[in-house]
Amino acid sequence: MTARDTKLVVAVWLGNAPPVRSIRWLDGALKAAATFDGATAVAAGEQTWLDLAADRATRLGLACVGVPTDLSLDYLGWAQVMAGVARHLAATTILVDEASRPERLAEVAALAELTDAAQLTHVVALAPDAATIHASRAAGTTLQTVRIHGPAVIGVRIAGPPIDEYPTPTPSASMRRLDLVAIGLDPAVLGHRALPPRASQPARRSVDRVADHLVVHIPPRKGA
Amino acid sequence: MAAVLVHIDLDGDQPNASSMQALTAGRAVASSWGATLYAAVIMHDAEHRSDAAPARIGPRVPGDPKTIEAIRSPLARGGADKIVVALTDAPIVPLWSALGTAWQGVLDRLRPRLVVFGADAPSATELGPRTGARIGARLFLRARATGTEEIELRDRDGSYVRMSDSGAAVVLVGAAPRPEIHGDDDIDVMVLVLHGGADPRIELVSTAPAELVHTTGTIIAIGDDAASDPEIAQATQRLARVLGAHVVGSACAASAGVVASGAVLEPGAPLAPELCVSIGLPPIDLAGSTSLVRIGTAGGKGVDGALTGPVAANLGELARLLEDR
Repeated sequence: MTARDTKLVVAVWLGNAPPVRSIRWLDGALKAAATFDGATAVAAGEQTWLDLAADRATRLGLACVGVPTDLSLDYLGWAQVMAGVARHLAATTILVDEASRPERLAEVAALAELTDAAQLTHVVALAPDAATIHASRAAGTTLQTVRIHGPAVIGVRIAGPPIDEYPTPTPSASMRRLDLVAIGLDPAVLGHRALPPRASQPARRSVDRVADHLVVHIPPRKGA
Repeated sequence: MAAVLVHIDLDGDQPNASSMQALTAGRAVASSWGATLYAAVIMHDAEHRSDAAPARIGPRVPGDPKTIEAIRSPLARGGADKIVVALTDAPIVPLWSALGTAWQGVLDRLRPRLVVFGADAPSATELGPRTGARIGARLFLRARATGTEEIELRDRDGSYVRMSDSGAAVVLVGAAPRPEIHGDDDIDVMVLVLHGGADPRIELVSTAPAELVHTTGTIIAIGDDAASDPEIAQATQRLARVLGAHVVGSACAASAGVVASGAVLEPGAPLAPELCVSIGLPPIDLAGSTSLVRIGTAGGKGVDGALTGPVAANLGELARLLEDR
């Protein structure tokens, strides 16, 4: 049996915190996962976020798994959590909602590293075709068309339908909860990937401070 | 002696501008830390051919002596102490699946304490975080070199890499001090032959120009009311030039001349660029932006910056400050 004959078992990693601004991209990632048979949505973190993730996944008919924890981890720490769940589910393909929070991009790479899977970021469209996945990837000014065979971690930035308001989610009975020990992780060891607590940054309100924020986006000047 | 490693992407046979910016930042750090600065380039080995991808896909930067010689001078003048050329039989496309094996060979050889990428270099988003994961490093996105005596790399959240830190770090550099030209062109070039090919699980089929709605770079989104004001329109274009940004908006904004015809988006179109500067009230869904700055409105959830007050004056001042950097 080759990798091309293997059945896909798909999980979608929604991350450890709710989207920064809108759940539209969360819904898009879930909708992309729902094109695969039997996909499972996975989230970790605090209860209110797990309830929201479960609510959105259930609306699209996806099974969902939550890992309740109050740890604050870096990209490698959260990737260990998702990799543990992926092993538990025997997932071969992991989609990652890359657009809802900026830190998720790095988790694509970390998950691929931990699961020894192929890696693909910035995917804007994908379609399953038996054991192959067809994907379109934004790469600067070009769009790459890619075929994916075998285990892979795929960072998706696919929008769902527009949504202004959504009902406050209630605690979900359908979410399967796994603690860290159940997925083979020792919380004390995982704590080594903890991030120091950091106050949230208020919006910059002066021209100087906004310029300081934008300066890292100035493209290099010709001849510099 | 600690190693600082800078990944260099190539545009044709010349180093990518963002990679050169990373080299400048790497030079500042290496000099401050007493480290050796390596500039590493992955090139295609013309004598071997991978069966993993068809020959038509991706530029094949030839790893022949002429090309290696062509990059030696700019990298030496950019401050590299040594150049590492990794030769691979895989096609040179900005994907970990294509370049990962060769890049891993470079990392194994040098065991760097700090790895630096240009944030806008083609390979940075695929190789940077994966490098961090592979060597267990802290990761910094869009950082810049700061300090006078001891140089550190600091990101927008205030996290930093300093000489006294333990452990490795990977940094995507978004800005660098103005480069100094270094005089010595005669630096060592180490050539590593790192065959092993591309990861066959990712098969690149074709490439085509991307639609603007898929842009991952910088955009400026302008509302209809703002677009109809000539002063704002002019200041918007100025800011777009300094940021290298596309200006997007509705058909109405296009009719005012500030948005090019190819940059007209449907109302409610969702975008997920790395940076969006929103002027007025553009009828576009910008919630997927990694960083969002609003001008002319009071801000809102998850906004990194918000300037209220006279829009044209704020835009003009912002552009002036950025032009002076």
